[in-house]
Amino acid sequence: MGKTVLIVDDSNTMRKIVSRSLRQAGINFDQILEAGDGLEALDVLAANKVDVVLSDINMPNMTGLEFLKAKAENDAIKDIPVIMISTETGADIIDEAKSYGAKGAIKKPFTPDLINETLGPLL
Amino acid sequence: MEFAKKIVESTEEIFNTMIFMEVAAESPLTQGKQDLGCHISAMIGLTGGLSAMLGIHCPEDVGLAISGAMLGMEIEEIDADVKDALGEIANMVAGGVKERFATENINLELAIPTAISGKSYTIASTTTSNRVIIPFSIEQGQFFIEIKYHLN
Repeated sequence: MGKTVLIVDDSNTMRKIVSRSLRQAGINFDQILEAGDGLEALDVLAANKVDVVLSDINMPNMTGLEFLKAKAENDAIKDIPVIMISTETGADIIDEAKSYGAKGAIKKPFTPDLINETLGPLL
Repeated sequence: MEFAKKIVESTEEIFNTMIFMEVAAESPLTQGKQDLGCHISAMIGLTGGLSAMLGIHCPEDVGLAISGAMLGMEIEEIDADVKDALGEIANMVAGGVKERFATENINLELAIPTAISGKSYTIASTTTSNRVIIPFSIEQGQFFIEIKYHLN
């Protein structure tokens, strides 16, 4: 069965750039799903089988950290790996994200190579 | 505090890695030029060790060229995608500035960016704010990145 990625970012532009960077990195998903904030992401995870999530942190309605917390409390989706992609990559925030289960972090701006290095081992 | 250096480094990093356009920074404007001749602006607030508003201001042609390059498509008019793209640039420049200030033990928090467009608008700030404006050139023309700030 093919793999599915969920890209969570309030910026439509950034979702497109992440999708393009995945292709440029040679990481081909059969399905790319999108969500505009953490709340939408939880809805997408409830309705789809997702293999990995790439999520922004600083979003309206539900931030990336709040999304991680909510996901960790849901047995059905808690084990889906999440990589944070954000301008917010200070040690405190990344440590907090990892404490809620994030598997890594990519700083914006990023290159396809960096996406590959971080995401590749999870696939 | 070297605001200009931090902004130039952050902006060049973004254009080199995600927009793929040649960009050249020019000397910061020394006078408080009020009318930058721009039609679209994206801004983001910073709080913490200082209170600031960072903005990117573009004439229409320049804004279309930058957002088109970022999205990998031709864009003919200022629309939601253009505002979103410039908002994301403001967000990333602010993130770069934040990261550089963190090395000086000045911690900042970022708000969520917003963008406006129009033929004529003025962005006002408190009269006690300091202001740094840096012109940048790309093939299609000039844009500006501005920070207005005061120390907390």
